[in-house]
Amino acid sequence: MRTQRLLALFGVTILIAGFTGACAQIEQRDKRFYYRALWNFALRENLQALDIEFNGVDFGHSNLYENLLLTGAKDIPAIEDRARKETLRFIDSRPVLNPNEEAIAPNYMKLAWKAQNTFDEAHALHRATYDIYVSDLVDKETAIRKVVAFYRDSQYAITAKRLDHQRLDTFSYSKSFRRKFPLFNATIWAYHYLQVAVYDPLGAAPTLAVKDHVVEPILRSYHGYLDKPPVEWTFMPMTEELSPKFAAEYPEIANIFDNLHMMHDNISDILTTDLLPTWEEKRKEIYRVTQAYYWASADATNPFIVPDGQPHHSGLTPVIEPGAPGEHSGHSGGHQ
Amino acid sequence: MKMNTSRVVLLFLLMVPTVVWALDHDNLDPNRPIAIEDAYVVPKGEIGVEGGILFSDRKRGESRLVFQPQLIIGAFNNTQLELSSDVSTDPRSVVGDDKSGNLTVGALYNFNTETLSLPAFAARVQLGFPTGVNAKGVDTAVTGVMTRSFGRWRAHVNVGYTFLGSPQGLERSGTYRVVAAVSYPLGYPTSFRDTIIANVFTRQSDLVGQRNPTGIGIGLRHQVSSRVVADIGIGSELFGPVDRSVFFSTIGLSVGF
Repeated sequence: MRTQRLLALFGVTILIAGFTGACAQIEQRDKRFYYRALWNFALRENLQALDIEFNGVDFGHSNLYENLLLTGAKDIPAIEDRARKETLRFIDSRPVLNPNEEAIAPNYMKLAWKAQNTFDEAHALHRATYDIYVSDLVDKETAIRKVVAFYRDSQYAITAKRLDHQRLDTFSYSKSFRRKFPLFNATIWAYHYLQVAVYDPLGAAPTLAVKDHVVEPILRSYHGYLDKPPVEWTFMPMTEELSPKFAAEYPEIANIFDNLHMMHDNISDILTTDLLPTWEEKRKEIYRVTQAYYWASADATNPFIVPDGQPHHSGLTPVIEPGAPGEHSGHSGGHQ
Repeated sequence: MKMNTSRVVLLFLLMVPTVVWALDHDNLDPNRPIAIEDAYVVPKGEIGVEGGILFSDRKRGESRLVFQPQLIIGAFNNTQLELSSDVSTDPRSVVGDDKSGNLTVGALYNFNTETLSLPAFAARVQLGFPTGVNAKGVDTAVTGVMTRSFGRWRAHVNVGYTFLGSPQGLERSGTYRVVAAVSYPLGYPTSFRDTIIANVFTRQSDLVGQRNPTGIGIGLRHQVSSRVVADIGIGSELFGPVDRSVFFSTIGLSVGF
């Protein structure tokens, strides 16, 4: 009887602790299932060569963030050599399923779950658009409009407005990651190149066989970048540069993806900088930036939104890294 | 009969090497494959169908096969609804709340995701309706769930209490159960398809005057494809009443869509 009471007390304690947590410093998980449709996993089933590469990409960011966090971004070989090569090995293993990112970065997930969930939802939008492009749907545009509406219904949705990425790259800690870890930064930008470069070729290819064919040179370029990271690039690849037709047809999605990729860069900088030395400070800054500058719910007050009709980048801040060859970002969209 | 049942199970294990479903191999659901669950629910909007077969070799009495179908729906934010049943061979010998053919509806609510300072917590409420053999009254179960990670290891504790609506004979009117487990994703950094789970458990016996069935289990969940997880597990009730399971094994599939 005494044991029973003790166990009942323990159970009640768990429930009370859960309730207390719910009332105090709590983060809800808020996982959402992807938009359910017949074309789900069309990329995996129809164009496996590309799907495998995206599964490899999924590993990269999480592995980077976890290693930056655990090393305090103080150990350059641990990032540039060990963590980067782990990522390359995973990509080389040609994974047929996307990895469990919580197993890759358990500490980062606990540090900044809201930011991770923001990434997860945007990555699901990426996947959905690839699936639609590779599916045999006749009316792809309607399907894409539906998934965008579904995405934008999420409280974790990144703004579909055009943001001034150059200004978002001028925080006190901005560029710290690319300066300290140029190889891994260029590897990350290579992922972003792959993610946006495939849209126009896939959209233009009428059949699966042609789609398979048109992504080949992009994959060759991508693997060339992995082998020899393009450290000469001065800014992340933009959707408008690499898939202009897609960006013109779906400007909101192009904005979401560019904003997503910029948010990745911001978080890499926050995890690298010495200006935010503790995990708690990094967490607060990640959440501040995510919620104030990236979430669509902040559109009314977001100072980085580019007003309609104005150029993408403000030009008010330095665009070029010292010593860079020119003001162009360097990734022309041509393939090696 | 006991020998025949064992043969059936063995045949099943050989014929279906990748059989129990869960939508994400790292998201633990009770009995898939062993008695533990983590504090996380399926994503909002997901529908999961799970099914498995439990083989229980009892120290005294007939061995049992139990089919365990379950439907899980991510109905709301951080909330899953469940519909499940256990269908057992030798149904008239079952005592306690898991009568063969009972229909159980439940809800699991996840209070929070784990942070650096706070474990993840969840609570489950279940109602067992007396649709099964020899069943009377509506049973009610409440369970508290906690998950805490340590690097890639995750530790889980489930503590629950079941109130029997209409206990029969020597059945207790209420029973507690406690399960503790650890899980670990195998394969990092080159593979992310498997999670291994080990648990220890004790629960109050179904009948008055008997010892707690207490034991251990170990299981594996394997991501077969984007939508399908297979699981397999074994275990033993090391201590407890004379009709305890000296060996049990499960095999099953979970499909998410």
